[in-house]
Amino acid sequence: MPTHAFRLPEALGRRLRRREAREQFIGYLFTAPAVAVIALFGLFPLGYAFYMSFYAWRVRQGPFRGLRNYGKALGEPDGVLIFASAIALLVLAVWAWRRARRAVAGRRLSGLLAAAALLVAAVAAAVTGWGRMLGTGDVKFLNALPVTAYYALGSIPLQLAIALALACVLFQNLRGSAFFRMVFFLPYVMPTVATATVFRSIFSSRDTSMANQFLALFGLEPQQWLAESRPVLEILFGWQLGGPSLALVSIILFGVWTFVGYNVVIFLAGLGAISGQLYEAAELDGANRWDVFRHITFPLLSPVTFYLALIDFIGALKAFNHIFVMRSPLAQGTVNTASMVIFDTFYLANQYGYAAAQVVLLFLMILGVTYAQNRVFGRSVIYD
Amino acid sequence: MIEQRQAVQVSPSPQPWIKASARLPIGRLSLYLVLTAGTVVVALPFCWMVATSLMTLGETINRQWLPSTPRWQNYQTAWTEARFAVYFLNSVIITVTSLAGLLTTSILAAYAFARLQFAGREILFFGLLSTMMIPEAMTLLPSFLVIRGDVIPLPGGSWLNTLQGLTVPFMASAFSIFLLRQFFKRLPVELWDAACIDGCGHLRFLTTVVLPLSKAPLLTVSLFGFIASWDSLLWPLLVTTRETWRPLMVGLWSLVTEAGPETHLFMAGATITLLPILVIYFLVQRQFTEGIMTSGLKG
Repeated sequence: MPTHAFRLPEALGRRLRRREAREQFIGYLFTAPAVAVIALFGLFPLGYAFYMSFYAWRVRQGPFRGLRNYGKALGEPDGVLIFASAIALLVLAVWAWRRARRAVAGRRLSGLLAAAALLVAAVAAAVTGWGRMLGTGDVKFLNALPVTAYYALGSIPLQLAIALALACVLFQNLRGSAFFRMVFFLPYVMPTVATATVFRSIFSSRDTSMANQFLALFGLEPQQWLAESRPVLEILFGWQLGGPSLALVSIILFGVWTFVGYNVVIFLAGLGAISGQLYEAAELDGANRWDVFRHITFPLLSPVTFYLALIDFIGALKAFNHIFVMRSPLAQGTVNTASMVIFDTFYLANQYGYAAAQVVLLFLMILGVTYAQNRVFGRSVIYD
Repeated sequence: MIEQRQAVQVSPSPQPWIKASARLPIGRLSLYLVLTAGTVVVALPFCWMVATSLMTLGETINRQWLPSTPRWQNYQTAWTEARFAVYFLNSVIITVTSLAGLLTTSILAAYAFARLQFAGREILFFGLLSTMMIPEAMTLLPSFLVIRGDVIPLPGGSWLNTLQGLTVPFMASAFSIFLLRQFFKRLPVELWDAACIDGCGHLRFLTTVVLPLSKAPLLTVSLFGFIASWDSLLWPLLVTTRETWRPLMVGLWSLVTEAGPETHLFMAGATITLLPILVIYFLVQRQFTEGIMTSGLKG
């Protein structure tokens, strides 16, 4: 603290301190109701789920079970350990690769080879560990993880790309762009339960459903859509590689239909924030429109894109209502994301303690993925 | 103020590189084609819904694009058969109650986070924000136990099948606080100085000066709160075991699962549940999209 040039009169100082204390008090008073509700229904549940996960808990609290709820989900510890070592190897591989790229020419090749070897080891460990986990753990829960990943990886790039294209078109200040903006945003504000109900009929397995009529336009065979548990790759090309089922892809399409509008609006805000001078300079330099997009618009939008990718990722994890409405028993669990499985364990099977363990596991995975996303993409984001 | 205006103005005057291309009618035509294609994709499901809702059962099975004669009585059937009258009223009461709570808590908290100095303010704020990352499915089970009265004693024992059980958990949201705080922060400090000289307290200042200036963000928060509450399915499914407080979405969901092949009926039901939001959205859409744009960026 710098010494004051003059002292405040004693009485004034006291009054100021009283005012500060009063402001403190009002601050806590005003935030108290919101904090109480969010703490009780947003944060406390996580802590309580952690506590519950160590007990046998079917509707009422039962005896202490230690880590057995986790064991039930993940299987024998050796499988988990092998899988965890795969992640460690992957991190090492990335580190080695980065180091090798910076190394002098003579040592670069050996560095890259080491990185490749680490990567191969990581993949091998992941496959072995995962197989072991599937063999001894809860297949329903473990299968939810690739399903969630497919859902996120299938919907996020698609909705970002479509939204970016639409936003760029809308930004050209065409007549009626306000109208189109409103239309694109419409699916996002409509109640999901209602729109998912509509898509349930659009993607129904009847020959006369909208999706099948659309296929018929091109002379294609009708499909089972939401009732189809076979992977898309198998239906399209006959490849037995696994991957998302057609039912899950139908749900992804619904998700994209719903969320594109939100992404468009945020992209528009981002486009509006890019300075027009840059475009003028580019025009003087004789840049064409694609150059402008690649070297100005896209890099300067990267904070917005990153923000949206994060929001869309959270949205993909939160996705519930529409999957709940659109899922069919015929899809055989290929559309059950982690959220759905947790809900089923809790609501249908009434295994509260086990559901709580699944909650904790999902939470740890969200933390891990968010951290990784920050580390990987956070660096390439350009802030102006 | 300047910062805010930049964010609100999303379509500034055309950039020079656009002007040059806009002279070509073909370029502009293809842009309109893209926009029209997007509109068709958005609109088609809604058209499908309304068309189907006016068909007979036979027409939905043999599938025509339009019903031969619109059967408006489908709506009446859906309304009475699925007891929509009760559910609709329940939904309105639940939504209005939680919205009132949500607005009160969010406005107060947002004002405190934007304007007041108190110890631990930033930690508290980011702690609240972090809850936005947590999927509802994860908090559902412990929240359910809280509402059932298993964890802490609640007034009246268990809150299952009560209005407070359906509304209290939704009476605060980190997102609303965040959105309002972003706006409140941008209001000029001079306003408060002037009010302070006039001997105005924080609550009076908030209600008489800040709120009238914040119509767009308040509308945005309200519409989001309205949709979240109107659209909730999981929570009501858990905490209502009897018909008394069942909301509309639970009604629609049971109509879908029980109606079986009667597509026209649940399409009519879907249209009914969708209409209120559609009307409200058209009324406030302008402020709404602008409110989101100001919030979405410049965190």
